[in-house]
Amino acid sequence: MDIQSKNRREFIKELGFLAGSATLLASVPWVKTFAQENGKAVSPSDRVRVGVIGVGDRGRALLLNLKEIENVEIIAVCDDYEPNYQRAIELTGGKAKAFHDYRGMLEMKDLDAVVVATPLHLHAHITVDFLRAGVHVLCEKSMARTIEDCKWMADAAQETGKILQIGHQRLFNPVYLNALERVKAGEIGEVLQVRAYWHRNANWRRAVPSPELERKINWRLYNEYSAGLMSELGSHQIQVANWFIGKVPVRVMGSGSICYWKDGREVYDQVAVIYDYDNGAKCLYDSFISNKHYGLEEQIQGDKGTIEPEVNRIYSENPPKAPGIRQLIHSIEKGIWETIPIGGATWVPETAVPYRGNIIAPYDNNDTLLQMIGFIKAVRNGKPFPGLLREGYHASIASLLGLQAMDTGQIVDWPAEYVMEA
Amino acid sequence: MRDLIIPGKVIKRELIILIVSFVAAVLLNIYSIIKYKTAWGELFSQLHVVVAVTLIIYLLVILFRLLISPIFRLLTHKRGK
Repeated sequence: MDIQSKNRREFIKELGFLAGSATLLASVPWVKTFAQENGKAVSPSDRVRVGVIGVGDRGRALLLNLKEIENVEIIAVCDDYEPNYQRAIELTGGKAKAFHDYRGMLEMKDLDAVVVATPLHLHAHITVDFLRAGVHVLCEKSMARTIEDCKWMADAAQETGKILQIGHQRLFNPVYLNALERVKAGEIGEVLQVRAYWHRNANWRRAVPSPELERKINWRLYNEYSAGLMSELGSHQIQVANWFIGKVPVRVMGSGSICYWKDGREVYDQVAVIYDYDNGAKCLYDSFISNKHYGLEEQIQGDKGTIEPEVNRIYSENPPKAPGIRQLIHSIEKGIWETIPIGGATWVPETAVPYRGNIIAPYDNNDTLLQMIGFIKAVRNGKPFPGLLREGYHASIASLLGLQAMDTGQIVDWPAEYVMEA
Repeated sequence: MRDLIIPGKVIKRELIILIVSFVAAVLLNIYSIIKYKTAWGELFSQLHVVVAVTLIIYLLVILFRLLISPIFRLLTHKRGK
């Protein structure tokens, strides 16, 4: 069995429950299209010819995933940084046509789709050029450096009718889809808050062979090319928040600082933002890179339960009681060992009750591969998955508005013209 | 090496203590099901805990016997005199 069909079958099996969930299908309409099995093998005439632009770390990962998909041919690669350029040639066994400038690739007549994994500030014009040339695009998240560029890209996709998919792999992740199904079924009640964070303890720098390459290689650290933590990490999790709350925020406030890594970087190394939704729900987001104890998570909190998709757990607000005999043993232990505090707190501390919750869904798949398979399927069908671009677009706009709130120190309202209708 | 001979009477006595400990653990399980209003299915699903409690009770009984045996011996020795 080839990897593509194995993953698709596993995915479809895992999402078998979707068939009866009309509410969920309204939230994830792309899954229905993705999961439709026509029973036919992919014919050689269905070969999809793809180009990869930007073959740094992420581009390399996407390229390797593409190589796993049946009947996909990587016919072109592009990178203007020589080591990446050489690596791209090596990864494709010298079969792909290699470019230092993506405009050369635009001239190719047999290109069906491209994957754009360049630094953020380059996404917009490369994407728009390919869409206008009639080529479908999968662009890595976040969409673009400015909200104007995000809109420009989305408008270009709508005008040309070509596919523009943004690289939010969680949209294809069976754990997240199962979690969303359980939210729609009311298992955690109304989603009132998403508390999301991404913490690392690393300077986010890459080794630079010579000083003049500093801004090229460490582009994430400079405002001209990157929105820092908000675009590189935050956009993933804010996408999850919007998706689970089922709305677009109405306003955002925030604060950012260069708190620890004072090494000449321009982007914040510590950010904290609050997104308000029109029903009163909130997304509280923070990210910083000088402590990794809590790692990353999106805590989706409703009045009846909580979901932590990154660790694949769901918790009820009223967890099932422990068996009677264990309660009895615990009570005896408490009677023997508990001390009476003298001069201590007069209230019972509301610390979290240790409770492991339940697993959301058994899953050991590669969601980046599922995302790439989804993109290739959309390219074969010649039309975009409904609703998918909207998720990536709103996540990008939200992360950039968050940065704007931090930069200006003001509460920023979501501009009405930047809401993409369903 | 000398063979260690455990008389059948001793084995029987220890088995009876173990069985009584098990019954006590089962009764504790029944008591806790009633007290905490949990499912009667726990009579079977919590058997592993009941077995563990049985062993704890048995060990406590051994400990108790070890503690009282010198006193007991002292009393019988005095009575013998």
